[in-house]
Amino acid sequence: MKFLALVKKEFHRFFHDPRLITTMLLPGLVIFLLYSVLGEALNTKAEARHYDVYLVGDSAVTRVIAQAATAGGDSVEWRRLGDEEEAMDAVREGKATAVIKFSENFDAAEGGKVEIFYDASNEVSAAFYSLATAALNAYGMRFTVAAQSLTSAETIGMQVLCSILPLLIVTFVFSACMSVTLESVAGEKERGTLATVLVTSVKRSHVALGKIFPLACISMLGALSSFLGTALSMPKLMGLSLNMLGAYGFWNYFLILLLILSVVPLIVSLIAVVSAYSKSVKEASAYTGMLMILSLILSLVATFVPKMGNWTVAIPVLNTVVFMQELLAGALPVWQSLVSAGVNLVLTAALVFVMTKMLSDERIMFGK
Amino acid sequence: MQEHEEIVRAENLKKTFTLSKKQQRIEQTGEKRRVAVSGLSFSAYRGEIYGLLGPNGAGKTTTLRMLSTLIRPDAGDAFLCGHSIVKEPRRVRDVIGFMTSDLKLEGFFTPDYLFDFFGAMHGVEKAALATRKKELFSRFGIDKFSEVRVKNLSTGMLQKVSLVVSIVHDPEIVIFDEPTNGLDVITAKVVTDFLEELRRMGKSIILSTHIFSLVEKLCDRVGILLNGRLAAEGSLEAVAKGDLERTFFALYEGEGGRV
Repeated sequence: MKFLALVKKEFHRFFHDPRLITTMLLPGLVIFLLYSVLGEALNTKAEARHYDVYLVGDSAVTRVIAQAATAGGDSVEWRRLGDEEEAMDAVREGKATAVIKFSENFDAAEGGKVEIFYDASNEVSAAFYSLATAALNAYGMRFTVAAQSLTSAETIGMQVLCSILPLLIVTFVFSACMSVTLESVAGEKERGTLATVLVTSVKRSHVALGKIFPLACISMLGALSSFLGTALSMPKLMGLSLNMLGAYGFWNYFLILLLILSVVPLIVSLIAVVSAYSKSVKEASAYTGMLMILSLILSLVATFVPKMGNWTVAIPVLNTVVFMQELLAGALPVWQSLVSAGVNLVLTAALVFVMTKMLSDERIMFGK
Repeated sequence: MQEHEEIVRAENLKKTFTLSKKQQRIEQTGEKRRVAVSGLSFSAYRGEIYGLLGPNGAGKTTTLRMLSTLIRPDAGDAFLCGHSIVKEPRRVRDVIGFMTSDLKLEGFFTPDYLFDFFGAMHGVEKAALATRKKELFSRFGIDKFSEVRVKNLSTGMLQKVSLVVSIVHDPEIVIFDEPTNGLDVITAKVVTDFLEELRRMGKSIILSTHIFSLVEKLCDRVGILLNGRLAAEGSLEAVAKGDLERTFFALYEGEGGRV
């Protein structure tokens, strides 16, 4: 009952203060808008494009594509080459925009096939691919469209995304934890309201857990907001399709969530311990700033040092970033993710114990 | 209820603090440790108001903080309703209500919310809590501002809220550090009247103050605390010897103090 009352108080404090809710959830929205606008700006064409497209076979559909291009202020020039491979090489070398290959008697027979070969790393070629597939889909005839990028731009984009996203997530998680924990622990200590709770018969361990548990839940909301803002806008920023997020399986998402769920209480309890030690919010902010830099360094190490190995499961924060990267890259490091989450939670329990001891220490709680 | 039932017994309480370099500089002293309370022993009985009278720095607040288990004595012990402050601090906290200006209420919450919260912290049953809230809020006029956030209350209102929150669990012993400090005359009267009412209800009250008139008005027994030691203790009449203020300054000067 006492523990529940403590938990409810923290939730009440947060959910009845519109300013706190706004500061917690706003970063996610801002990130989404910022990255989306940035992505839009980066991927928006500056001037009319000219497409040099090689045709293998023929179809009246090419007129539809040309019309679509003209409607958008662009132009298409259809070319022919005897050798299909030579045409593809021209695309790879950037000398041509794309190759469109129609199956035999494409216009005469139902169920024909059209293949588009393009260069996803080339902005003009990628734009033509989007234009052509949209025009073909709108055409309404029953045929199949197959597309193939002759380079691996999406793979490169995904690799960058996989590396950066965990770093960003951990940074957002840290910011979310900081904004609520500093105020709730260091702020209450500084204002003398924590001492009012300590003079009641509630157990110190309940006070510690009664802070850390709800603060972790609240931080999770903030982290989730930032995560969604980032995850939904990053593909756009990098010129990738949102559908790529569907490429991951259930276990990838589950383990990513588990890693986040384990690192949030760890960071909250770490900040709570530092806040309980500090005499003021200002002092706690300074210490927490240093912790954030340390966490950022660990995340950067994980981002830029390849193949770090399984020993990283033992290092908090680093383990989360490393295995989140692997999960985003499509791998399934199951035991590593589970052990990492376990390590994070065991360290959280240790920090709750430390905070309990600190709450009982008069030099820390009441020292001038 | 037993007559003269000993309800608080302090035995040889000692407390020393380490002075930081900054404190040494401010106080222009070379001493690294400061004895705040030195071998303090006294008893308080059920249904009486016991006053600890002394100047600033005499050890009054330190004594009350030890009794309320916020800090531990370096040596000695005290027993409140038979529970040791050293060995059973949580049990002690169950039987005391402690009010001091150092303990604050969170400005974001309303008196109504805080009363329920601290009631839960002391394990008070919901039905009993509702009855007690109605009674105390009505007694102190808090019902008129029970839904106003604490940060928007005046000093007098805040003091009333702090008072009722500290006794939400109907404790046997009420410990007040400077109960009327900073209050206007009306609120101070409300507080002193309530302390007398608590005494009539058989509660024991230990208060610290440096105000002679407050001791003379309220206390049944008094201990004069100088330099962390009891310089005199007993019934108000016995200690005051007709003039509490004159007796106090005689003792103060006897301890080497200068006015």
